[in-house]
Amino acid sequence: MTGQNLQFVIAAYGVTWLVILGYLIRVHRTLGRARLEHARVTGAQPGASQ
Amino acid sequence: MTYASASIPAVAAGRADRWPWFGVFAFAFLILSQAIAIITSPADRDMGDLQKIMYVHVPAAWTTFIAFFVVLVFSLRYLWKRREKDDLLAASAAEVGATFNGLTLILGMIWGRPAWGVWWTWDARLTSTLVLFLIFVGYLSLRAFVDDAERRAEWSAVVGALGAINVPIVYMSVRWWRTLHQVQSTPSSMDPAYVLGLRLNAFAFLFILIYFIRQRYHAACLQRSTEHAEEMTALGGQQS
Amino acid sequence: MTWRRDWSRVRAIVWKDLVTERRSKAGFSSVTALGVTILVLFGFALGPDAQVLRDAAAGALWLAALFAGVLAFSRSYQVELESGALEQLLQYPGSRWTIYVGKLLSNLIFVGLMLVIVIVTAIILFQVRIPATWPSLVAILVLGVVGVVVLGTFYAGMASRIRAREVLLPLLLFPMLVPVLLAAMSASKALLTGDLMHEASAWTRLLIAYDMIFLVATLLAFEHVIEA
Repeated sequence: MTGQNLQFVIAAYGVTWLVILGYLIRVHRTLGRARLEHARVTGAQPGASQ
Repeated sequence: MTYASASIPAVAAGRADRWPWFGVFAFAFLILSQAIAIITSPADRDMGDLQKIMYVHVPAAWTTFIAFFVVLVFSLRYLWKRREKDDLLAASAAEVGATFNGLTLILGMIWGRPAWGVWWTWDARLTSTLVLFLIFVGYLSLRAFVDDAERRAEWSAVVGALGAINVPIVYMSVRWWRTLHQVQSTPSSMDPAYVLGLRLNAFAFLFILIYFIRQRYHAACLQRSTEHAEEMTALGGQQS
Repeated sequence: MTWRRDWSRVRAIVWKDLVTERRSKAGFSSVTALGVTILVLFGFALGPDAQVLRDAAAGALWLAALFAGVLAFSRSYQVELESGALEQLLQYPGSRWTIYVGKLLSNLIFVGLMLVIVIVTAIILFQVRIPATWPSLVAILVLGVVGVVVLGTFYAGMASRIRAREVLLPLLLFPMLVPVLLAAMSASKALLTGDLMHEASAWTRLLIAYDMIFLVATLLAFEHVIEA
């Protein structure tokens, strides 16, 4: 009984880390792309709107 | 009321960004909290090792509600002050909140299967969490389909606020639905031995939440700033 | 003085909406026919056994009313959108809420009439035995319909102006309606089977609270949604 339950515990922690790391990667990609786009647009304008 | 679009914070690349360090700290804290909780908590009489799932499931649920609360507060704030920042923060919290919401549901099912023999029990908490997830998804879908920034902000603020009002009502209705049909409710007693581990993990999840929301918000601000700059170019040079 | 003017505007909007629908009788007939069709499909889904059908009647009725109602709500804005009448309505000075209340009332009447026909059909198809407590059942129906129409009218006002309106309206609306549907279905079901637990009164209180909360909330929020 305990052995079977252990499977579920491992699954639970596995899914947790999968989701958290997954979102970490996703948010970093989004942030990276946003930074690139922002640099491209503001860098390209000589008299930038600041 | 004017739409104050100029007030995007200057999170420019130049300034030293301390947030990645906070991210490192948050993840380290999470690993530590989980280790402590797993090692120090005694096995439950009835559930055995299954009890350990509580250290991820319950904090995930709590962070979901905190995220949604942030969505509510900043939605109302947007309707009041019309500052773009508030809308972007609400949207960021919604995206992160939906992620934790999905996680909560999956963990609830992983816990439920061995504990009660079924993948889903229609109990009040789990069902309300599912409805909340649908509200989150609706909110994010609405944002995806509205292109005009001001309209998107206004409408999602209203949808977010109304959704937040609804959640406690949903919880109550489902609970009545269950008790009136005399179905066993899930026990929620907390053995004091588990409290420390739970608190540690709850804080760990909170730090992760804060980090994720902040990073998402940062990206959203940059995106908005880029859009503004492109609009300026399209209008033909700077306006000063 | 403005009260009288506002209420005459409301009446005008209600009248215009209903007259437009009545002139195109097809509008009402098609929505009602859809409600009936959905009931028939539920009948097939739940099987020919009379007792099963009786138990499921309340649920099937409310869902059929909901799905058909959603179409009625979307349509009530579509006509204005197509003719650009909404912009014209907004031009006139005066409170915005009159537009919302006008739409609300016309939708209530429309959905109410549709529901009468759908209920009669449900009684026949699902072999429902009408209980002695049927006045309470009518009260539940009225309260439930009000809840559905209030939120439906509100969300349709938004969704009608977005690209993916057909999917977005149900997606936004249905989770919001969970308490109404739960309360209405459970109370109807209980009353149809004798209400041994006296649960109908508890659900009635929930429905009243819900209706009041969201009527006020949507009235306040409507101007944010219609101007943008």
